[in-house]
Amino acid sequence: MTAAPASYGVGIGWRPEIAGFVAGLPGLRFVEVVAESVRASGPMPPALADLRARDVTVVPHGVKLSLGGAEPVAADRVAHLAALAALFDAPLVSEHIAFVRAGGVEAGHLLPLPRTREAVDATVANVRRAQDGLPVPIALEPIAAVFDWPDDELDEADFITEILARSDALLLLDIANVYANARNRGGTPEALLDRLPLERVAYAHVAGGAENEGIYHDTHLDPVSPAVLDLVAALSARRRPPALLLERDGAYPAAEVLRAELDAIAAAAGYPAVT
Amino acid sequence: MTGDTWGIPGPTFLAIYIAAAVVLIVATAVTKSVLYRGKTGTGYEHVTPDQAAYLNGGEQLALYSSLGTLRRGGAIGVQPDRTLTPVGPMPAGGSPLDTAVYNAAGKRLTAKQLHSDPWVRSALDHLRETLERSGLVLTAEQRRAGRLAGLPMLALLAVGVARYVAGTQNHKPTGFLFVAVAAVAVIGFTGLVRTPVRTKAGTAALAALRRQHAHLAPAQAPAYATYGAAAAGMGVALFGAASLYALDPAFAADAEVQRNLASAGGSSGWSGGDSSGSSCGGGSSCGGGGGCGGGGGCGG
Repeated sequence: MTAAPASYGVGIGWRPEIAGFVAGLPGLRFVEVVAESVRASGPMPPALADLRARDVTVVPHGVKLSLGGAEPVAADRVAHLAALAALFDAPLVSEHIAFVRAGGVEAGHLLPLPRTREAVDATVANVRRAQDGLPVPIALEPIAAVFDWPDDELDEADFITEILARSDALLLLDIANVYANARNRGGTPEALLDRLPLERVAYAHVAGGAENEGIYHDTHLDPVSPAVLDLVAALSARRRPPALLLERDGAYPAAEVLRAELDAIAAAAGYPAVT
Repeated sequence: MTGDTWGIPGPTFLAIYIAAAVVLIVATAVTKSVLYRGKTGTGYEHVTPDQAAYLNGGEQLALYSSLGTLRRGGAIGVQPDRTLTPVGPMPAGGSPLDTAVYNAAGKRLTAKQLHSDPWVRSALDHLRETLERSGLVLTAEQRRAGRLAGLPMLALLAVGVARYVAGTQNHKPTGFLFVAVAAVAVIGFTGLVRTPVRTKAGTAALAALRRQHAHLAPAQAPAYATYGAAAAGMGVALFGAASLYALDPAFAADAEVQRNLASAGGSSGWSGGDSSGSSCGGGSSCGGGGGCGGGGGCGG
């Protein structure tokens, strides 16, 4: 296993819509870019090139590899991630433990896997295929699920731990997902933290969500709730991640609000403010 | 067989004429380049959205830029009868033009009527004068001087026409001379008509601003809620009225904003155009003329 990268502090998901805001963050050390939104051939987008020139680390974050799918990962998608890692000189790439297509049908979004041994085997096989084609380590992000499959054989922690241990991959821990899963499926989020291999955490996602009819949705469109910030503090008290990243995918608020969120995450984790 | 027209053989005249044309074209281009240079090195950091808009699309785009700032700032709306209306306080840090447009909205003018408001008119004049003083926009005198610099080309045209008429009356072949004179006419009149509005410094500032604010291009779907009201004005200024439609399509449509004004890089109908008036500098359209001088009796 490759060691987790050095400490980067608080970053933000780079999106074209807020590129000017991201460019104006003086203390920024890393961003994440959605892999499928960037072409690997040719020069990188000027805004990202400017960030690289400032020595800001850019981590390609895939959403369509479908590592949890029953069929092998598509070699061209792995090659794309690998090319982006080279283009941005990234220390790692990340993807989800999920499937987005099955039997040739595209779901259009991330679907949770049933937590079965078969699913672990399939995912581990796919992660190894991906690792064979990647020049850098891959961090895996478990996704939020608002329901459990009826035939689950493993609980959340065992499922994640087993995949990571067998594939020797890093963990991209989504704090909002941990919170959402505990809220929606019972249990306390801290209990899950205690059972996860926190030494494998490459970085953490922090995002906002909203509650609707008793179910917490990890929307990435709403403010980060105090409960999620508390969980950031709880995680950092156990083992502080080398980096934490604010994910915001739309309904972008005023710059002051985004800055306040970044500052709140930094404060909860004990990192210096990047604003 | 009659003698040479004006005592000069045709091929000789044609060679001299073309040589004179090339010299004049180069001299005119150099003169205009100096006249239109503006103040280089003044930088662009202090260029405000309404100034950038004027550079890119004249008074109309400056007004649209103000509409963008005021709309994003929650200050104005538009009524079903197309009149503007104040819906909130003036955003902090607005330009004098923003204030004038906000005031005009209080008078229930339509976007198309904004020019005629005395306060807006005065703010637009002040905007132009500021840009003239900073050397980003040409003054009326500089534009006049630019047109004067084009007059020698017209004199050359007159000589060519006279020679053509005389040569024709003298029953000499005039085909090549006709081509040369026509080329001089096209270049001469183009140089007169195409007087730029921006100085070269203004064009450079605009290009630098577009690079600096590339994140405001409509293709990036800029989050104006994050960037703020002034950024909305700058987006309209640099990327045209299409930005106003991206910002608030219903508002832009109801206010009857011309969507294509200065959009996508700025080749719009506005009088300035992108050329600095030196488009004839290369003289390429007459380059072939050099080869025709040798033709027997082609110069009238």
